[in-house]
Amino acid sequence: MKKLAIGAYLLITVALLGWAYYQAIYVAPNDALQGEIYRIFFYHVSIAMDSSVFFIVSLAGSIGYLTYRHNRPEWAQIADAWAVSGAEVAVVYCTIVLTTGPIWGRRAWGIWWTWDARLTTTLVLWLIYVSYLLLRRFAAGPQMQTLAAVLGIFGALDVPIVYMSNRWWRTQHPAPVFGGGPDSGIKDPQMLAAWGWNLLAWLAWGLLILALRYHVEREHQRIVAAEAEAALNA
Amino acid sequence: MDQAAILDHQFRIAAYVVTWVIQFGYAAWLFLKWQSQKKKLKP
Repeated sequence: MKKLAIGAYLLITVALLGWAYYQAIYVAPNDALQGEIYRIFFYHVSIAMDSSVFFIVSLAGSIGYLTYRHNRPEWAQIADAWAVSGAEVAVVYCTIVLTTGPIWGRRAWGIWWTWDARLTTTLVLWLIYVSYLLLRRFAAGPQMQTLAAVLGIFGALDVPIVYMSNRWWRTQHPAPVFGGGPDSGIKDPQMLAAWGWNLLAWLAWGLLILALRYHVEREHQRIVAAEAEAALNA
Repeated sequence: MDQAAILDHQFRIAAYVVTWVIQFGYAAWLFLKWQSQKKKLKP
């Protein structure tokens, strides 16, 4: 039954990705100013917005680990597994944002990169979470989990700064697509639908890989615990 | 298609391909990691 549900979810997600692609390429009209190049936004903006969900999962997991590490060790391990899973999926999403953005920028601005507030804060966020993953890769044990949780919480502080960066400061990065004042928002209903489908499809995909990553981490924790027990009994 | 439209098209394809490669590449790596862990967990 569980396998059937996972299979059905996978099928729906793949169908959603296909439908979202169709909407982005064949249904949404060309932009009057940017032509076809604006279609990068359907992936870039959707994936950037979805990435915040995984940063929040990681933050919640980090807080959970610090909360339960002394009195409920099993809950703490579950929270830690969510923290690392959220961080890893968030880094994948953030990597895409940091590569598709410059591809658009090269064509629209004539440059791959500029040190404006939105781009720089996003790069800093990515670097913080890459260092989080490196810490977890090259250290082990409860002390590493505590340090990682603290780093994860501090890293998450950059998420609202990234969100607000092109509201607080004048940036070369385009104005916010949503929530940026009376002129923000997508006016064309077909463009809005294409963006919405892509947001939903990449969120569904992200939740799928998040669940798989969590499962892998829990199995890893069981292997580490079994190895530690075997070493003690030897 | 004029030169600008061709370039727009190529850049759009590059961005989409990068997205798919990163997303599906990560998923494939995760799946392989899961399979190798499964073997370790078997008694």
